[in-house]
Amino acid sequence: MSTTILQDSAASPPIAGRVEERAPWHVYAVLFASLSVIVGVLWDISWHSTIGRDTLFSPPHLAMYLGGVVAGVACGWYVLHTTFAGLPQDRAASVTFWKYFRGPLGAWMCIWGAFAMLTSAPFDDWWHNAYGLDVKILSPPHAVLALGILAIQLGALFMVLALQNRADDRAADGASHVIRGFKLMFSVALGLVLLNLAIITTEYTFRIYQHTTLFYQVTTGLFVLPLVIAAVAGRLRWSATAAALTYTGVLLSMHFILPLFGAEPRLAPVRNPLEQMMPPQFPLLLVVPAVGIDLLLQRLPDRVNGWMRATAIAAVFLATFFVVQWPFAEFLQSDLARNAVFKQDMRPYMVGETGYGPPGSFYDPASGADLGIGLLIALGLGIVSARLGLASGRWMAGVRR
Amino acid sequence: MSFRRTAAVAIVLAWLVLSAHVGSPNIFFEGAAGAYPVRVIIRPPEAIPGLAEITVRIQSGAAVDRVTVQPVRWDLGRDGAPRPDEAVRIAGEESLWSAELWLMEFGSYSVHVEVEGPDGAGRVIVPVPARATSIAEMPMGLGLALGGLSVFLLVGLLAIVGAAAREASLPPGVEPDCYRRRRSRVAQAVSVPIFALALFGGARWWASEASVYERNLYVPLAIETRSDAVATGATFTLGITDERFTPQRFSPLLPDHGKLMHLFLIRDGTPAAMAHLHPERTDSASFTTALPPLPGGDYRVYADILHESGFTQTLTDTVALAETGAIASDALDPDDSWTVDTADPVGPNAPAILDDGSSMRWTAERAPRAGEETTLTFEVQAPDGSPALLEPYMGMAAHAVIAREDGSVFIHLHPLGTVSMTSQQLFAERDRQGSPTPVEVSGGDGAGMQHLHAGESSVSFPFEFPQPGDYRIWVQVKRGGRILTGAFAASVGG
Repeated sequence: MSTTILQDSAASPPIAGRVEERAPWHVYAVLFASLSVIVGVLWDISWHSTIGRDTLFSPPHLAMYLGGVVAGVACGWYVLHTTFAGLPQDRAASVTFWKYFRGPLGAWMCIWGAFAMLTSAPFDDWWHNAYGLDVKILSPPHAVLALGILAIQLGALFMVLALQNRADDRAADGASHVIRGFKLMFSVALGLVLLNLAIITTEYTFRIYQHTTLFYQVTTGLFVLPLVIAAVAGRLRWSATAAALTYTGVLLSMHFILPLFGAEPRLAPVRNPLEQMMPPQFPLLLVVPAVGIDLLLQRLPDRVNGWMRATAIAAVFLATFFVVQWPFAEFLQSDLARNAVFKQDMRPYMVGETGYGPPGSFYDPASGADLGIGLLIALGLGIVSARLGLASGRWMAGVRR
Repeated sequence: MSFRRTAAVAIVLAWLVLSAHVGSPNIFFEGAAGAYPVRVIIRPPEAIPGLAEITVRIQSGAAVDRVTVQPVRWDLGRDGAPRPDEAVRIAGEESLWSAELWLMEFGSYSVHVEVEGPDGAGRVIVPVPARATSIAEMPMGLGLALGGLSVFLLVGLLAIVGAAAREASLPPGVEPDCYRRRRSRVAQAVSVPIFALALFGGARWWASEASVYERNLYVPLAIETRSDAVATGATFTLGITDERFTPQRFSPLLPDHGKLMHLFLIRDGTPAAMAHLHPERTDSASFTTALPPLPGGDYRVYADILHESGFTQTLTDTVALAETGAIASDALDPDDSWTVDTADPVGPNAPAILDDGSSMRWTAERAPRAGEETTLTFEVQAPDGSPALLEPYMGMAAHAVIAREDGSVFIHLHPLGTVSMTSQQLFAERDRQGSPTPVEVSGGDGAGMQHLHAGESSVSFPFEFPQPGDYRIWVQVKRGGRILTGAFAASVGG
């Protein structure tokens, strides 16, 4: 049955090649879901740093569940509708799942993510009974949850991506403002994925670690990949920059909004009697290397091969990021950042006055040859990350469904 | 889980079963919160961080307005505690309140229980050691459900990979050709080992997290014990051999009831015997005492110690003793006591004849049941049948030792409950001084005597048998300057 319809669709280029005049509702739904889960995660971390105790139905958890439910229900409904009662153009722009079901690739990712989130809930509950309540961000059940959240975010990204690519194919139709909207949505969706990755690595990126080489290895190894994908698969001139700005914008919004709410620690030991919600970690200055990557890829001739390209990207990322983040970390650790804007005087309730070390000090700071070797390792990781990003970006640039 | 790890876990769990306030983690406390006599029961979580359940019973039945509970860590005081939690009155119970306690870190806590009512406000402080005691098994139903969901997720992920490789980059409406279909199968085939590797990595990660947690499970300090024959009889020596016994890990020892260590030697079989001794410290980690006349055989060793943090632990071992004869009375601590069965131990409501001819009767309306809060009451009568006048014995109206016959339960309790009175005084004094630093307390030398009023001849202990089975109960009181021990047998139903 599906084969027949596919052939019909293939025989109707006007339908198959139609430019969507606006994003369908389920794309907005999954973008909202992507934002909702990540805001939920940031809020939850703040909750655990400020109030401490939570339940299955704490407000941040509800924000996460809302994202999972919205993504799962919207995409579930959409694939069922496409499978059983879909318009020809919708079926034509879908992939086959288990030989029978039809839906966009991104929708399947979202559904998978919703199921992964569902799986993590009883697993996490049991984990708390066996190994105690949450004290760490990274645990196996949280990894399942993070995978689910990541899948929902990637699903949103792929749905926007297919929309962008299909629309861009037909740019001559004159729907340029619509297409620009799709391109922007892609960078935003990617920025939310970037934020997710940043949260997963939080335990390596606290400001007191920002003079270790491990910090530069983790950040270069991880963040180059999405930024390169943004630059290669995104159709905006400044796609990577837009993605980094999204990351920075959401994080900064939470940085200023959360402390507006009063709260008090509800768990002993209280080493810091907070009175407001803790802000998230101050955003890393990823915008700077993102600009660097955009500029580089705009100027790099096509004849430069993949590994050379990857090496140049990794070098630009590491150099620009190191140059701005190293002194910025010093600023954040200094008394100058202990104010209403940077809020570096705020500490989670369980962290005592000396928990972040005296002002200006860093955990295991690297220098001399160790720093050089560490940065070379970071560069190596960055090259692999960039190469993967180039390959993924190129493939994603062709995704139409 | 490998055999070695399974064996290691089994050894840890077996050790726990055989150790410290063994098999009876619940905390019982009776005292007066201002004008209100209260019984507090705390059921600690098995995992830390975790939630303890606390119930507060107003013993007088008074209708109080409000009960709050607040866990306070020993080294941070109330300044480092969150505001108290409101307990809620249990439906249908006029004088029973309950709440949850969040214990977030290992170590010594106290719980401040405040009661407010028509007769004003009052407070009691109950010491609670927060320690992880076991790792919960995953129920089979949950395991099957999670396994099923995992398979579903893996199969779904493979389908997504296949669809991505096959159709994602085709223009709308174009059907995948043979090449794309093959590419899809290749992508799936390549993904399988990657997913398998990810799963393997996840399993290793889980195992490593579990092993870190296992290392944090509470295991009492390891000890070695031995008995030596000497000219005057025999001595018993206990050495703390555990490498964790350092000032960095454990605060110094403090006397409880005036003694640095309360040592219990229990002999099973016939005749059963129990000795409650108080060894002296000979160096920072060694304790020694003379042995009273006891029948030879294998003995279980339980040694209660108290740390300056208020943390209590019971160290355990087994030792083989040769039969010892009478020794000079001044070789032993005046508060040492021991008993050897001369007849079968009696059950509830039957008199146990004590050494001075007086008798002790365990008054119980019905046989105790496991998991049921109860009060064990013992009445002492002089040889002429009149109520006996009891005297304080190491600051307490009485001491009781309860041991399950297979050794899986051991508890040393007092009329105020299972807590150490000195630990409780420490917390109270620190709170009064507003300082988490060590403070001087009486050490329970008798000045803090509780639960015994002039002319009283009965003693009672709040308790709950943790599991069914056959138990031995030894109750120790002091009368006419003599320490007397009543031996009882209890058959506890499920």
